[in-house]
Amino acid sequence: MTISPTPKRAYDLNFARYVYENIDGGERLRMCMQCGACSGSCPIGKQMDHGPRKLFMMIRAGMKEAVLTSNTIWNCVSCYNCVVRCPRKVPITYILHDLAYLAVQEGYEPAKKADNARFAKAFWWSAAKYGRTDERLVTGKYYFSFGIGEGIKRGLGNQAIALNMIKTKRMHLGMPHAIKAKDELQKILAKAAEIQERHGKGA
Amino acid sequence: MEKGPKAMTRTLTYYPGCSSQASAVHLDKSLRAIMGPLGVALRDIDDWNCCGASVGHIEGGHLANSALSARNLANAQAAGPEDIITPCAACYLNTHYVNESIRGSESLKKDLNEALGAAGKSYDGSLHVRHICEMLVTDIGMGAVKAQVKKPLTGLKVAGYVGCQTVRPFANTERANKFDTYDDPTFLDDFTAACGAEVLPFKLRTHCCGGSVSVMSPDKGLHLIKELLDEVQKLGADVISTPCPLCQTNVEMYQPEINKRFGTNFNIPVVFYSQLMAVAFGLDPVKDAGLDQNIIKSDKLLKM
Repeated sequence: MTISPTPKRAYDLNFARYVYENIDGGERLRMCMQCGACSGSCPIGKQMDHGPRKLFMMIRAGMKEAVLTSNTIWNCVSCYNCVVRCPRKVPITYILHDLAYLAVQEGYEPAKKADNARFAKAFWWSAAKYGRTDERLVTGKYYFSFGIGEGIKRGLGNQAIALNMIKTKRMHLGMPHAIKAKDELQKILAKAAEIQERHGKGA
Repeated sequence: MEKGPKAMTRTLTYYPGCSSQASAVHLDKSLRAIMGPLGVALRDIDDWNCCGASVGHIEGGHLANSALSARNLANAQAAGPEDIITPCAACYLNTHYVNESIRGSESLKKDLNEALGAAGKSYDGSLHVRHICEMLVTDIGMGAVKAQVKKPLTGLKVAGYVGCQTVRPFANTERANKFDTYDDPTFLDDFTAACGAEVLPFKLRTHCCGGSVSVMSPDKGLHLIKELLDEVQKLGADVISTPCPLCQTNVEMYQPEINKRFGTNFNIPVVFYSQLMAVAFGLDPVKDAGLDQNIIKSDKLLKM
């Protein structure tokens, strides 16, 4: 899934077809009957531009830009309430996850600025570089993605929490935790990226 | 033959996950301590890596994110055919999902093996990835847990907070041995009862704490944690018990911030079920249960 056939187009009547065929679990979206069990189950639905139910109708209506710039795909807390409750077995959380990736690939503004997008960047950096998530570095890198001033401000704002974590030995002060075979992991990840590029799609 | 741990010990492959080295060291520590008495020997996946959690795919892409789990699966298989067990909700969700996807899709299996091939590795999809709680319910059983209790936690009032990904979206599927339900799971209360503590009827047990959204954007998630704590306080709980590393950290570390923002006065200890078991099994409260690693200490539990 590099980009869809019509990147940056506000409306694309083939967008639904693209999602059905290229997003992991997307083919189940055809079964959505707009019942709203997903949106009603969402713990954070009130803070979304559109609940999943509406977002899926927008996909069908070809409102590509509105879908990929909505905060719905960034605010999902991955609780999987919607997935287990959907009477049509639409894997909603998975679809939202891969829509977020598509938004990053196509370079939409919110995909550069959303908290979750910044966090994901910091997270993947640690996972791919060290093979492990170093909670300190991920949080630090995330804070400083907002700029140096904001990074310091956020860091200081969380000083009490950090001190508590250090005191209880739940945050260490040394080098990042890392796997032994970093080069091996990086080869695997590079190959996976190459295969995905070759397929030009997600799953 | 006497029903002792030595006679029953069997080995399982263990995937501790990144939080085992940081925010959830006390989960890892207490689990390793209780597994011996329960007859399980843990063999760590060699050089295990991160599972990608809930965000890896956004930057890494779907296939590379799945390749993280594929490497762990390949390393686990190289060591033996035993089931993989993991205590972390996100590790379980990702590793189980990728494993089941490999089993269900020849093309994904081929792609991931091509990626693994870049490092001379392979994986055939034959393993079973399980959550430790599911293993405790299905393989060990509450009878065997009770049999290990030497110091029942009599009088300790426990609100069992299950969270999301331990049960969703897999708890009620065949491959998770249908170990519990999605909305009203009882396994955690069963653990509490087996330890001799008092089970409180905590209605919000599967409500979300905000997960990593609470970490990255507290403004969006803290009200979720406050709702949980309100209910726990009303119930008069001594401690909250949880299986999830992120739930434990979120619900515990944000209490001062929530008090500041909402004018509340929460100071409720949040522990792992495995810490309760370690104490109930008569193991060392610090060295084995890691009770000194909870930010909010439970005096009542420490004195047990």
